Amino acid sequence: MKKAAVLILLLSGFSMTFGDVPVRKENLIYALLAFNGRDYSPAFATEEADTIYLIAGVDNFLGVRKAMVYYWPLTDEWRTDTAVLNVPFEGTLELIGPRGKTQAFSPVRYTYFNVRGEYELNWKVAQGAEADIAWKRWTDIMDAYNAAVRRYQTMSLQYQTEVDTLTARIQRIRNAGGNPELLVDRMSSLVKPEAPSAPNDFIVPPAPVQEAFILNLPAGDYNLRFRAPEGRILEGSEKKLVVHEKRRAQGIGYEIIPGDKWTRPLESTTPSSVLYVNGSSDLFLQPFYQDEYNDLRIAKTVRNDAKGNPNLMKWVRIQQIPRAKIELASPDFPTVRILEEPFVVEQTSSSTLGYRIVPYAPQGAHKGRQPDLMAFHVPLRPEIQRIRFMTLDNNGTPLAESGRQIRVVSTSGISSALLLLALAPIVVMAIVLARRARRYTP
Amino acid sequence: MRVNARMHAARVIAQRQILETLISPGFYITLAVGLFLGYTMVNGFVRAVDSSGFNYALNPLYATIGRLVEGAFGKTFLDKLFAEGPFLFAFLVSFTPVFIFLSVSSVFRFGLEKNAGVIELLAYGPADGTAYFLASFTKDLLLTLLTILVLLAYLGITAGVSNLPLGPAFLLSLLITFFLSLAVYAYGILVSTLTGNASSALALFVGILLFFVLILLGSFAIVGGYVRTLSSVVAWIVKWLSPFFYGGLCFQGVELKNPFTFAAGLVLLSALTGVVLCASHLALSIRGVRA
Repeated sequence: MKKAAVLILLLSGFSMTFGDVPVRKENLIYALLAFNGRDYSPAFATEEADTIYLIAGVDNFLGVRKAMVYYWPLTDEWRTDTAVLNVPFEGTLELIGPRGKTQAFSPVRYTYFNVRGEYELNWKVAQGAEADIAWKRWTDIMDAYNAAVRRYQTMSLQYQTEVDTLTARIQRIRNAGGNPELLVDRMSSLVKPEAPSAPNDFIVPPAPVQEAFILNLPAGDYNLRFRAPEGRILEGSEKKLVVHEKRRAQGIGYEIIPGDKWTRPLESTTPSSVLYVNGSSDLFLQPFYQDEYNDLRIAKTVRNDAKGNPNLMKWVRIQQIPRAKIELASPDFPTVRILEEPFVVEQTSSSTLGYRIVPYAPQGAHKGRQPDLMAFHVPLRPEIQRIRFMTLDNNGTPLAESGRQIRVVSTSGISSALLLLALAPIVVMAIVLARRARRYTP
Repeated sequence: MRVNARMHAARVIAQRQILETLISPGFYITLAVGLFLGYTMVNGFVRAVDSSGFNYALNPLYATIGRLVEGAFGKTFLDKLFAEGPFLFAFLVSFTPVFIFLSVSSVFRFGLEKNAGVIELLAYGPADGTAYFLASFTKDLLLTLLTILVLLAYLGITAGVSNLPLGPAFLLSLLITFFLSLAVYAYGILVSTLTGNASSALALFVGILLFFVLILLGSFAIVGGYVRTLSSVVAWIVKWLSPFFYGGLCFQGVELKNPFTFAAGLVLLSALTGVVLCASHLALSIRGVRA
């Protein structure tokens, strides 16, 4: 009996050393690759999810498969475990539109890629044979690049071996008191092979060609179901599909990076918002285009089990504004236009171990280094009370809804005098009551 | 009763009621509490600003408010609430004590005087029940206007010394709050005319107000999906009776910079006030002024 008790005690202690493994369950999921306004988000909808959310007027990819799913409490989200089970289903996707019209979709071979320029997003979707061509083009580019890398490695090895051999021979001749001039000439005539540059044809290369149902629908509420080849509707595949669209487009938002806290940028997305700072550090601005979506719908487009506010709209960052200018106006200095410049983040050597953002010097201190950020520099000082700014496009035209203001907040103003002023009604009350008492006292 | 005579009676009774309110401490105390809350909100905001902007975590009060609001309504709501600065929130918080005082005291007083036979006595003389509730409404309207002006002046001074702009949403919110308050006062009058005594009028008024507030809060709560439950359908129907729904419409107009939506919200709020006051008049006509 004692032994058993000791064993149970030991085992109970031992069990605490193991992690709490999430319970996985087999689930019919819709694997989604949904466009989120600027990018594609891989997401999935479990069997229990009643609604799928997609953006209208763009290609979205859906697949139906059996996989293991589990809840991950640390991030409060559902995840898939496709390593254990990942079985795609063959069949037809049926979509019942707002007017009751049923539309059937067959799976399509596809790939998607981004051939973005300096800033612009440029997502392309290739289907069928075009997808194979795009994928082959990418694999050919990569094969050529890999072959060039191999050649470079071989040539580098040969070069290094030749340099080592010549160095040893020159040394030997010098030690023997001879003249190694010929060998020195030969060594200086050796050409160091150059490393091949990585392919830049694609910013996001094509994904391996796969099959999915491609939905590009107008906004509205639909019903979705999956029909197996034998004609039956797959259990758990019936879902509501909400296809939503942006309420406003081409708004202007800003990412604001404080000079002393570059790891803590903030965003100004509401057009009438004000940036409050204490003026102890310069600001670095990055203007971007933004579109406005329903808070709940966009959240669930990106992650189907996310939460959101169904009655609020949210600005979603789309892309940086190319070749913009910012105009700064303040009562404290003449109106100026500033341009986007490269900057480098340096760690300060002081005891606070903070960061500072300094201009990028490609020929000086930052030679051989890439800039850390491209931004508009707004110098601030505590004595500058207010700066208004707006973004201008390439032609110098102000962009609508791009105006903001920076206010350097004064903490000294909020004094006890204001607190006393808040109590003024009590003083008035005392006066009124005193006068009344005097008036009615016999 | 002729309209001119009724209006005259309402004006005279309103003058008396305003005077009575201004010579008693309740209004001053709630106004001082409101101003103090406004001071606390602005002071906390200013102290939560550093080189990287406004950060809730830097001030214990705002850290709590931020956590509560974000937890219930989401980050988007929180960001919108403080996008222009602290004044929209500070004003709503500051206005609440006086608003509750005025609306509750009017309902209670109406019920009390009806119970004591004061209104019946007046009805034998130069006034009727409608003139009495119009007087009560006028008193609330004027004192609300006074409160809003005092709060505007105080928050304006606070904004000036701390270099914060009041913001366009704040200034328009004053107008929205004024019209919204009138609709709530009208509900208070309706409740007073329908119930038999002060306590039941007060209980019903507080219940209705809480119901509307809960529907408003529910509409902004973060959810995991659209669930059409019976309660959500009931809420959807009832919201058309709620002044807060039309107030929300006005705020939507402010957000979209759409003067039509904003004006439509104000017109609908005024229409709701008018309809509720007409209903009160009808109720008094049918039930009479006896308790």
